[in-house]
Amino acid sequence: MPLIARVGRNKLSVKFWLAFITSFLWLGVALHLFPVWWMFTSSIKPVPEVYKFPPTLWPHKPTLVCYKLFFQAIGVSYKGAYSTVLPFPVYVYFKNSLIYTLGAMAIQIPVCALVAYSLSKLHSPRWSRILFLAFITPLLIPAQIYLIPRVLLFKNFPYAFKISSNLPSVNLMNTTWVMILPFCYDAFNVLLFKGFFDTIPESLVNAARLDGASEIGILRRIIIPLSKPIFAVVSWFSFSGLWNRFLWPLTVLTEEKMWPISLRMNLLQTNLESEHLQTGMSELDLIRREIGLGWNLIMAMGIIQSIPIFIVFLICREYLMKGIRLRGFK
Amino acid sequence: MKSKPRTRERQLKHKHRAGWLYSIPGFIFLILFFWYPLILSFVVAFQHWHPIRPPVYVGLNNFQLVFNHPLTPLVFKNTLIYAGLRIALTFLIPIIVAILIMEMRKSTIRTMMILWFIPTAGVALTILWKYIYNPFYGLLNAIFVGLGFAPQRWLSDKNLTMLCLILPSLIMFAPGLIYIGALQTIPEELYEAAELEGAGFWSKIWHITLPRIRPVIAMLLILAVISAFQEFNLPYIMTKGGPGNATLFAVQYLWRTAFGYMKFGEGTAIAILLFFFLLALTIIQRKFFRENVDE
Repeated sequence: MPLIARVGRNKLSVKFWLAFITSFLWLGVALHLFPVWWMFTSSIKPVPEVYKFPPTLWPHKPTLVCYKLFFQAIGVSYKGAYSTVLPFPVYVYFKNSLIYTLGAMAIQIPVCALVAYSLSKLHSPRWSRILFLAFITPLLIPAQIYLIPRVLLFKNFPYAFKISSNLPSVNLMNTTWVMILPFCYDAFNVLLFKGFFDTIPESLVNAARLDGASEIGILRRIIIPLSKPIFAVVSWFSFSGLWNRFLWPLTVLTEEKMWPISLRMNLLQTNLESEHLQTGMSELDLIRREIGLGWNLIMAMGIIQSIPIFIVFLICREYLMKGIRLRGFK
Repeated sequence: MKSKPRTRERQLKHKHRAGWLYSIPGFIFLILFFWYPLILSFVVAFQHWHPIRPPVYVGLNNFQLVFNHPLTPLVFKNTLIYAGLRIALTFLIPIIVAILIMEMRKSTIRTMMILWFIPTAGVALTILWKYIYNPFYGLLNAIFVGLGFAPQRWLSDKNLTMLCLILPSLIMFAPGLIYIGALQTIPEELYEAAELEGAGFWSKIWHITLPRIRPVIAMLLILAVISAFQEFNLPYIMTKGGPGNATLFAVQYLWRTAFGYMKFGEGTAIAILLFFFLLALTIIQRKFFRENVDE
């Protein structure tokens, strides 16, 4: 667009420069896509090929055996000892992930939109500035500091301490709530929403007010129809953020039936790797490989985990491609 | 004639009331899950938590324990090296790519960005990189051997493991949507005017593009620094802090102290130390950038 003058674009040196930039960018795209491709091909390789050195670019005998485990739990028994590879079929973890993500989104997005709208258009300027600071500070506070107190809070909800036995408190660990409640508010979403609402002219809202529209009416008939792009953008950020949560579920979900897919993947790879590094290959690992499950299973789960993000991306892409306008913290 | 100001007043009242009403749900969540835990952590840091008995106030004891722990200096050194390297190596790339990508034709921009954005789940990708790094059958060693180099041990090599943790974020970045959004707001006339004055490629970037997107860069830099210092997933999944303790970073350290050894007080003390460190860093950064903007 603007950096290279339009007039001189036919000159040889300029053409060379442009070709250089273009190839640099395509190289970036290729580097970025290769791991994704690698995940996919590894997921359809049979076990001997996953462990082959040097690895093959495309499997000689592609197989979908790992994807069949979406509906099937699996364990290995060896010398009387029973070791589970997948105590539950993959869809159980997948369903958990979906519930946690969509549940949190369903509350988070309207809550943040309302906060941002009221900051942008409803509060008096003075209050708007004060409240904006209060609402946005969590963005600047390192999230790790919430980790321990939130765990204590959820163990003894909503007091954190055992104050007295008269006050009822519940232990919310290992429930769906623990994966939803702390994510009902997100400061970054407020920043995104406010950046957009600020661009809607005040006069538009005032005109509707003069026509006698109620505040809810203005929100429903004017603001929301105008705000489709920002809802798409926030949905994308919110979905990918919530879907990728790892540290929090690792800390608060100890029962496997509540696990999102990422926790099972992590445990599977930890087992594989530790067995491999200690003795080269443990006997249990050998058995697992004999029934055809190794890195290919983990990669298949990775592909399954990536699909929902991909779908949300496809839905929101038109709006994402336009870029996101954001104002600073002020 | 008299009714007009009165309706306006009433509308203003309605407006403010709606404003408070709409803020309430956010406010409840904000207080319960952000401000309350924040205050709580400053209480817990001064307490000893016992699994069964109620917590006891122990003063600065937790901080003393943390300061005297042999691992603490190492962990903070590791975190500092990792965060510094990661910011130095990866922060600029999305900015450069966003500036360059705007030079392309509209259709090329679209195709490139869609390809660049093909998303994968974070944990899946991290595990994939661990597979790529595997010294026995990993892709990276295959490439190395194919090119005639000696195979490396990657994640289990003390000297390489830090770089191995950074490489994924070097390759897997997406061109910053926020930068592209900011770049689009720069009016084209500015570039045309600069052209008439004979400004070239670099001087346009330096005098027009960068100053215009500086506030966005400042904000994203602050967020990038905060998140780099808090990295957990990559080291936890790929190395578990090893080899030795070469990649044990602050968040994993506090996580292990609190939930591995059940020392909530000490864990919170580590969290608070990191909190103040990052707060100081943020304040310095904001000051630095604000002085620049005012010039």
